[in-house]
Amino acid sequence: MQEATAIARHSLAVTRRQYLVWRKVIWPSLATNVASPLLFLFAFGFGLGAVVDEMGGLSYLAFIVPGMMAYAAMFAASFETTIGSFARLDFQKTWDATLATPVTLLELLLGEAFWATCKAMISATCVLVVGVLWGGVGSAAGALLCLPLLLLAAFAFATCGLVATAYARSWEFFSYYFTFWITPMFVFSGVFFAVDRFPAYVQPIAWVLPMTHLIQVVRPLVAGQDVALLEALGHVTYVALLGAAAFVVAYFRLKRRLFD
Amino acid sequence: MSAPVIIARGLEKSYGRVHAVRGIDFEVARGRCVGLLGPNGAGKTTTMRMIMGLTTPSAGELRVFGEPVARLTRQLKARIGLVPQENNLDPDLSVRQNLEVYGRYFSLPAALLAERIPALLAFMQLGERRESGVNQLSGGMKRRLVLARALISDPQLVILDEPTTGLDPQARVMIWKRLLDLKRQGLTLLLTTHYMDEAQRLCDEIIVIDHGRILDRGPPQDLIDRHVKGHVFEVQKPLPSGFRDGQWEQEDIGDAILYYVETPRAFTEDLPEDVVYWHRQANLEDVFLRLTGRQLREN
Repeated sequence: MQEATAIARHSLAVTRRQYLVWRKVIWPSLATNVASPLLFLFAFGFGLGAVVDEMGGLSYLAFIVPGMMAYAAMFAASFETTIGSFARLDFQKTWDATLATPVTLLELLLGEAFWATCKAMISATCVLVVGVLWGGVGSAAGALLCLPLLLLAAFAFATCGLVATAYARSWEFFSYYFTFWITPMFVFSGVFFAVDRFPAYVQPIAWVLPMTHLIQVVRPLVAGQDVALLEALGHVTYVALLGAAAFVVAYFRLKRRLFD
Repeated sequence: MSAPVIIARGLEKSYGRVHAVRGIDFEVARGRCVGLLGPNGAGKTTTMRMIMGLTTPSAGELRVFGEPVARLTRQLKARIGLVPQENNLDPDLSVRQNLEVYGRYFSLPAALLAERIPALLAFMQLGERRESGVNQLSGGMKRRLVLARALISDPQLVILDEPTTGLDPQARVMIWKRLLDLKRQGLTLLLTTHYMDEAQRLCDEIIVIDHGRILDRGPPQDLIDRHVKGHVFEVQKPLPSGFRDGQWEQEDIGDAILYYVETPRAFTEDLPEDVVYWHRQANLEDVFLRLTGRQLREN
């Protein structure tokens, strides 16, 4: 128990450092993580919303708001633990400085992932607020219920990003991560279209991606539709397990990379 | 006498097929300043990283404060301060925030930090710059801030990897003064440097290391006496024909020959009148070059 509080305290000290830095670069950071999903929301909401009457039993706006919430969370968390973490690992040597203190690698990585989760929640919440004002949220209660789910998912997206950082030797490496992980989640996971509209051979790819599972739960909740509890639990478990597995992989890979 | 702060026995580190450290034994006693000297790639930084717990040893024993480094508790880890070779300060934060953030990594309470940070900044003559961004600082100020940061937890052991490399003479002298202050306060220091005057001035004991092995160790003056006597005569080639130099310890450095001599008069009496030579006191640099050779090290 004492050890658990020590781990929490040291992890939060790392998170707090990120927060301090973030306050200094708040505007460019908000532009990336908040303005960019909102631009997508407006472009697709107005553009496609004008020609698509309904999608998956919802108005196109109601369809796309939960998708953009998930996307905003996923992108913010991923960006933070790839580009952001790699900068601290590689050229700023912040991790080296941190690990020379009583902070352990476990706590450092937890602190990084916590902060990425915070940023993801800021982005997702902003999209939610705009969605409410625009009339794209069917159930306020359901939307609130989504927030802890998004939190869990954001943490999982963050740990997946840490895996990429653990293997990255240069910035160029992340173009693979963005092309073959982030972009597929953007286009195949049901942000803009229902997954069942894709040909059969795309479906398995879609269901490997954690984003697909997240959206399957978040969308009916935000829209105020019925949610099959057991099915939802399955989706959430998948995301949680993937996140946990990613954390373990990132931890051991970095342990070898940094200490051996 | 209390137990040594650092004990290394048969300490080794390999990266794949590269053997950075090949079995070294040494001890660092409490309150002493020990210098690790060696050319680039000799294994100095690797040794320091192992002591900090930042690199896992491949073989051998390494104890800090009596505990194996792998099992160093947070409390013991907090008693070590590190000045790394590269300034890894937080470029996005101010001078004060750099120390605050670091202090929190040591779980230091805010009230204690509020007291200690101004004191450390004053000690390192950075009080005026407390709100400056790190990138606005000069090289010497950054180095002083890294040293202040290493002292945030009031450590008993400070490890300094080339603390003054790249600094102007004024900044070096200032850092030397502070390190001597720390020594007077009873701190144990382990440092690497490429400046032999720095090592001679600060260190009680020198360990010369190359290719991952210890070549010799001892107080600076002992090493000088042992390897290069007290005086060096550099005699330009070609040597005069009548000069029989067989009895003097010597080293051919290409365009000249170095003679290591205990009593200068005996040597000059031997020397023909018309020879061109340069006489100076032997120093640690001579020891270093004799032990590690004169070839350039590129890594």
